[in-house]
Amino acid sequence: MKPSRSLSVIRGASVALSLLALAGCTELMQKDQPVLTSRIYVANESSNSVTVIDGATHKVIGTVEARNVGTHDLSLSRDGRWLFATNLASGNLSVIDTARLETIASIHTGSRSHVVTLTNDNRHAWVANIAEDNVSIVDTESFRILGTIPVGKGPTGLTFSRDGRFAYVSNQGDKTVSVVETASHRVIKTIPVGTNPHFLVLGPDGRIWGTNTGGQDIYVIDPATQDKLASIPVGPAPQQIAFGFKGMQGPNAYVTVSGLNAVVVITADPRNPRKLEQIDVGDRPNGIWANPEGTRIYVGHEGSHDLRVIDTGTGEVIATVPVGRKPIRVVVSR
Amino acid sequence: MKTGRAMGGPHVPGFRTTRRQAGVLVVFVLGLSLLPPWGSITASAQSVQVGTARNAIGSLVVVRPDGIEARLQTRGAVPLFERDVLRTEAASQALIELRDGVQVALNENTSFKLLSRWEKAKGITQIIRLSRGEIWVKTGEGAKRLEVETPVATAAVRETEFNIKVQEDGQTVLTVIQGIVEFGTAFGTCPIRASTISYGVRGKRCTPPAPTEVRPATTWADAVLK
Repeated sequence: MKPSRSLSVIRGASVALSLLALAGCTELMQKDQPVLTSRIYVANESSNSVTVIDGATHKVIGTVEARNVGTHDLSLSRDGRWLFATNLASGNLSVIDTARLETIASIHTGSRSHVVTLTNDNRHAWVANIAEDNVSIVDTESFRILGTIPVGKGPTGLTFSRDGRFAYVSNQGDKTVSVVETASHRVIKTIPVGTNPHFLVLGPDGRIWGTNTGGQDIYVIDPATQDKLASIPVGPAPQQIAFGFKGMQGPNAYVTVSGLNAVVVITADPRNPRKLEQIDVGDRPNGIWANPEGTRIYVGHEGSHDLRVIDTGTGEVIATVPVGRKPIRVVVSR
Repeated sequence: MKTGRAMGGPHVPGFRTTRRQAGVLVVFVLGLSLLPPWGSITASAQSVQVGTARNAIGSLVVVRPDGIEARLQTRGAVPLFERDVLRTEAASQALIELRDGVQVALNENTSFKLLSRWEKAKGITQIIRLSRGEIWVKTGEGAKRLEVETPVATAAVRETEFNIKVQEDGQTVLTVIQGIVEFGTAFGTCPIRASTISYGVRGKRCTPPAPTEVRPATTWADAVLK
C-alpha cells in the first residue's frame, strides 16, 4: 500500500507539475505569438486618401492622406509594411508607411497612373500609365524609376504570373492583354480579350483572370499557352475579382458587377464555370478582396462610399463601414 | 457665463479675452511648428521656378503642363517649372540652368521632362526624364541630388559632369567626365567613374565601366556653352 500510495502521490505531483508547465508554456506562447489581425485598406479616389480598417472589428483605424490627387489603386508589400498607391489625376505613386499611417514618398510615374502591382520579390513596383501607354518600374527601396516598358494603348490592369516570369497588362484602348516577359522587359504576345478590359488578377489556379468592364464578361488566360481560355458572362460592367470559399465549396470567383449593384459568384473553374449566386450589395460596387482564409469578401462601393463585408458562408452582408468618397480599390493584409 | 466665472474666477472681460487670445495664439504657433515641411513643398512645387533656359542655337521649345508653348531662340531667360517638357529639333541646341547651379545642355532632337520626387527622409530630388536625344550635365559644388531617367536606366548624381544619350529602344550611353555616377537599370546598378563609359540596355544590367576618351563625347556642347 505504501509504495503504491507514494507512487500515486508522485504521479499526481507529476501531472500537476506538467499542467503547470503547460499552462506556463501556453502563457509564454500567447505572450510571444503576435496577434494576427488583418487590415483592410481602401483607396478613396475623390477623397485622395486611404481608409484603414481593422479586419477583426471592422472599425476604422485611421485615414492616410495620399498627398496626391485621385487615389486609385493599391498594392501592399508581402510583409504588410509598405502600401503603394497610384493617383490617377496627379500621375504620382504614393508610398505609405503602414506602421505610422503616413505617406513618406511621392513619385511621378506618368500621366494617368492607374494601377500598381509589386513584383513577386517585392523589389519593384510596376505602374501602368494610361496616357503614356507604358509601365513604369519603380525601385521599392530607392524609389527611383529604373525604366519604362512600352505596352498597348491605355494600360489599365496589371498582374504577374505565379512564377514571376510574365506580367500581364490589359490595354483598354486596344482591347488586348500584353504579355511581358519579365526577364527581358519586352512584350512577347498580345492577346485580344474584349471590350474595355480593365482589372487583372492571378487566380488560385495560377491562371490570369480579367474583367471586360466595357462588356458583360470576365475572361481567363492560361499562362501555359498564353491564350484566352474562357469568356464567362457575368453582367454589365464587371469591375474586379476576388476568390473565396462557400463552406466546402470553392474556390469561387466573386465578381463586382457594377451594372447590377451585385457581386456575382461563379465557380473558379474556367472550363466549367457555373453561376452559384448573386449577392446584392450597395451602389456601384468596384473594389473587392478576400481575407486570407477566403471566408470574408470586402467590397468597396463607388456610389454609396462604403465598404461592405460579405460572409461567404451565408452570402450575407454582415457589416457596412463608411469610407471616403468614391472608393475604388480594396486590399487586405495577409 | 456662469460656468465661465465658476471656472475662471472673477469676471474681468478684457483680461479673459486677452488670455484666451494668447492661448489661441500659442496653440496656433505650436500647430504651425508641428506641421511637416511637406505641405509647403508640394504646394510650392506647382508654381516655383525650378530653372531657367539661358541660350539656344536654333530653337528650344518649352511645353507647359497645360500645353502652352514658350520658345527660346537666342540668349534669354525663359523660366522653367515642374513638369515642363523641353524639346529641341534638328540643328538646334540649348542650355538651361536648374536650381543649385546645375547646367544642362541639350543636343539636337532631344526631349525631356522636368520632375521631382519627394521623400520624407531625404526631401526633394530633381529629376530629368530624358525620352530621346542627348544631354550634357554639370552639377555645382554641394549640389543636391539629381537623377536623369531614360527609358531603360537611371543616372543618380551629386557633384559630377557627364553626358547621357538615348538611342533606339531606349538604349542609354553614359559617359562620365568628372565624379561618380550611380548608373542603374532594373537589373542592377554600377558606379561609373570619370573617363569611363557604360551602356544601359533593356532587359540587361548596365555594362561594366570601360575607359574612354571623354572629350569627343562632349564637343557638341561647346557651341551652346560659349
